[in-house]
Amino acid sequence: MDKKSRFTKIIKENEGLIFKVAILYTNSSHDKEDLYQEIIFQLWKSFDTFKEESKLSTWMYRVAMNTAIYNLKSAKKQINTIAIDTETDRLTEASDESEERRIRLLYESIQTLNLLERGIILLYLEGKSHQEIAEIIGITTTNVGTKVSRIKEKLKLQISKTQ
Amino acid sequence: MELEQMRTQWQSMNTRMKNQELITDQLIEKMTRNQYHSKINKIGYAEYIGTIICYLGAIYLMIHFSKTNTPVIQVFTLIAILLLLVLPIISILSLGTLKNVNISSGTYLEAIEDFGKRKLKFQKLQKLNLSLGLFLLVVSVPVLSAIQGKNIHEIPYFWSLIFPISIASFLAFALWVLRSYNKILNATEKMLSDLHQ
Repeated sequence: MDKKSRFTKIIKENEGLIFKVAILYTNSSHDKEDLYQEIIFQLWKSFDTFKEESKLSTWMYRVAMNTAIYNLKSAKKQINTIAIDTETDRLTEASDESEERRIRLLYESIQTLNLLERGIILLYLEGKSHQEIAEIIGITTTNVGTKVSRIKEKLKLQISKTQ
Repeated sequence: MELEQMRTQWQSMNTRMKNQELITDQLIEKMTRNQYHSKINKIGYAEYIGTIICYLGAIYLMIHFSKTNTPVIQVFTLIAILLLLVLPIISILSLGTLKNVNISSGTYLEAIEDFGKRKLKFQKLQKLNLSLGLFLLVVSVPVLSAIQGKNIHEIPYFWSLIFPISIASFLAFALWVLRSYNKILNATEKMLSDLHQ
């Protein structure tokens, strides 16, 4: 399989990952599309440097999330802003009303977190182990545990406030 | 709702997203043909146009330097030329602080810290650029009047009305813009300090 085919296959298999990162770090459809494209471009650019010994998903999350950071429009906007966007509607299409509400609520709550917390919770929700989260984020495994518990509390509080 | 429930729901979204019609195919095609260019490392048309305008302005002042007859106006002209030459450099330098980033090399935390530091540097340079730009506006008024052969002393109400109003408006605008820059700077600093909490 040539490089292009391998890359296309990987991207296709992980579209959801890129899409979720793009949504969590932007506030509009246009920005989301820009970020989505930029992530794929950055993945393509660093595809040659990807070493098979490291986990594919670790490399993908790292590039996607770092790209999201460098594409932030403004640090001010990224702090404590709640984006109610049509993209979350697209995500929840075909699901029942209560599920739709829950996912929307989750998105809104996550966007109130600071950037570090947002990154950690994204990986946590994606089912990553503490060790993998530590590797992608760049903190110790113990620190991941502490932060996850703290974020859980924050989210619980945030959700109970809005419910 | 418990976070564990949310986690399950979140992961179930992956399957649903696979059905989203996204631009992946065309994008990959474009990239492999080198037709896609990253937005991160791009310097905008506005910066190029701004640079050209500034340099044309500087050339105009150099050509008409002989028309400035008093030492004060000549000093003002030299300051204006210098500012017109320096402003685009600061602008491009400030943009450069946000570019040339190796995204895949660092961890997420390193990316946030690096981005924050670059953003702070960018905002400080922008602030400097804006202050100098406003100063240029003030300096250029007597210079342009002299080049066009107008004596500002002869303009009715210049010193009693036009000049004080202009200065007051200039200061009000400068304060308003600089305050909003300070707010952005504080937000970036907060973002960086949040990391270590």
